[in-house]
Amino acid sequence: MTKISRRRFLQVSGLSVAALGAAQVPVFGQARRRVIVIGGGWGGATAAKYVRLTDPSIEVTLLEPNKEFISCPFSNLVLAGVESLKSLTLNYNGVRKHGVKIRHEAAAAIDPDKKRVRVGKDSLEYDRLIVSPGIDFQWDQIEGLAQAKDTVLHAWKAGPQTVQLAQQLQALPDGGVVVMTVPPVAFRCPPGPYERTSMIAWFLKTKKPKSKLIVLDANKDIVSKTGLFKAIFKEYEANIEYRPSQKAEKIDVGAKEITTETGDKVKYDVVNVIPPQRAGAIAVDADLVGGDKRWCEVDHVTYESLKQKHVHVVGDATIGLPVPKSGNVANAMGKICATAVVYLLNGKEVPQIAPGNTCYSWVSDKEAIAVVNAYKIENGKVVQIEQKLTAGKSVATAQNSIAWRTSIWNDVLG
Amino acid sequence: MATSRILAISILTFSLLTAAANAGPLDSAGAQKSLVCSACHGFAGNAPGQHVPILAGINANYFKKAIKDYADGKRSSPEMEPYSKYVLQFGLDEIADYFASQKKPAPAAVKVDAKALSRGATLASQCGACHGPKGDGDPQRNIPALRGQRSGFLQLQMNLFASDKRKLEDAELEEAKKRVFKGLNDADIADLAAYYATLK
Repeated sequence: MTKISRRRFLQVSGLSVAALGAAQVPVFGQARRRVIVIGGGWGGATAAKYVRLTDPSIEVTLLEPNKEFISCPFSNLVLAGVESLKSLTLNYNGVRKHGVKIRHEAAAAIDPDKKRVRVGKDSLEYDRLIVSPGIDFQWDQIEGLAQAKDTVLHAWKAGPQTVQLAQQLQALPDGGVVVMTVPPVAFRCPPGPYERTSMIAWFLKTKKPKSKLIVLDANKDIVSKTGLFKAIFKEYEANIEYRPSQKAEKIDVGAKEITTETGDKVKYDVVNVIPPQRAGAIAVDADLVGGDKRWCEVDHVTYESLKQKHVHVVGDATIGLPVPKSGNVANAMGKICATAVVYLLNGKEVPQIAPGNTCYSWVSDKEAIAVVNAYKIENGKVVQIEQKLTAGKSVATAQNSIAWRTSIWNDVLG
Repeated sequence: MATSRILAISILTFSLLTAAANAGPLDSAGAQKSLVCSACHGFAGNAPGQHVPILAGINANYFKKAIKDYADGKRSSPEMEPYSKYVLQFGLDEIADYFASQKKPAPAAVKVDAKALSRGATLASQCGACHGPKGDGDPQRNIPALRGQRSGFLQLQMNLFASDKRKLEDAELEEAKKRVFKGLNDADIADLAAYYATLK
């Protein structure tokens, strides 16, 4: 607390007592507190908004280069022509209304010792930093991918590539072959590749019935909602060929061919490479990643980095909690981290709150499946209480997913 | 004397100001323990989606019963089974009180066919005996309010009742429910849901 003279103190006290009825009372003796949030995705936008909701006296700056928010959840429906990208595109006006200052610029660097973030020519100071950098791709893990990354689509960050891949699928001749590669865990949205498989298979079955989707999975088996997806794949068996333990090692865009770890060569007409992933570059550059050089380890209650003090990390970039890299988890982490940051700035004990995960996967134009996880905190660590799956696919689950998206988009951005 | 008065005022001022430091709408244990709920149920329980119930203003006892029923498997929902255990883990009473004390939003201003509403109003006369003439529920018997609830959610619950997948523990209420649903088809259920969701 700043030192002040007795006279000044009395002046301040008198004024403050008079002003106590007012909604916002400046915190006595404390300089303004500043929180910077890097990344306006599911975790970051939520965190920025909820810091303001929890304590309106804290100044929050959100750094996000994109002017629009495009939802990755539901983007697999765009590939199948069931949904438009426009309906998944939202803006940051709601976040701004909470008093969050938004700069549509990328953070260039973090200096954790000086508690500063460099943005363009500016150096912004923070008391607490929340980093929600999402994921970046490890292009070098597949031979030939780095050179071809502008033409070989990942469509794993919803945006122009989602639309391009949808167009390529539309243009596929009936009888053509689509090849999709799934990276080794951990990656963003564990059920995502299998939802994509289901939606592309539904598209092929209904629009290009002689065509086939070959899935080359680096993992030994489907990594999420395994039993449910196996049943779905069976229904689409004329259009899906699922090959586990087939890590993509090389892509030859000239020959339109993927080579796998077992030396199999697979030809394609349309290819979708979901590359291996790690935390967003800024987290790697700021040395927030652990021994694996890929993901950020955090405290399970405050989300403070285990590597850098006063820096918190939320969302897909984190590792070590028994939670999937999902939008719902990032949203929960954003809220919990915001609470922790406010309590730490106010010198109060941080409440122990655990995240939850609600995750829907669409498997046709009308039906979806779901997995739901609840967690608790035990000895300072996040521990799962229970996981529940839907019995199978249903229209009701798909309807619930629409209610979920209406609500959670509002929770992130509204 | 002067010094002690200064000290007294200072302590009072400081403690009041410190307490006001968070001062946002989330400054209660119940709000924090239910942070994860807003992903589906909306901020302060004001669910904007049609298939998720509004929790703002819910009767606290009814909320507690619903949570226990989901946790015990008496009510089936893949979403609520894990989350009900979360609520029990973090504090049923505080979370129930938090949602009960939130302001319920005005009934949905959605376009609904006037004939459907009129049919719904006629059918609703059967429901009023338990749920009240205006669908406000009966806290004494722990019967929930229907007025202003989301139509998709009401429809889903009525379908569960009609197909006997959701049962009531109270034998008398279970009989009454069966009697009512025997006479309702899918279209009736849709009309009833539209009526109660928009009832002012």
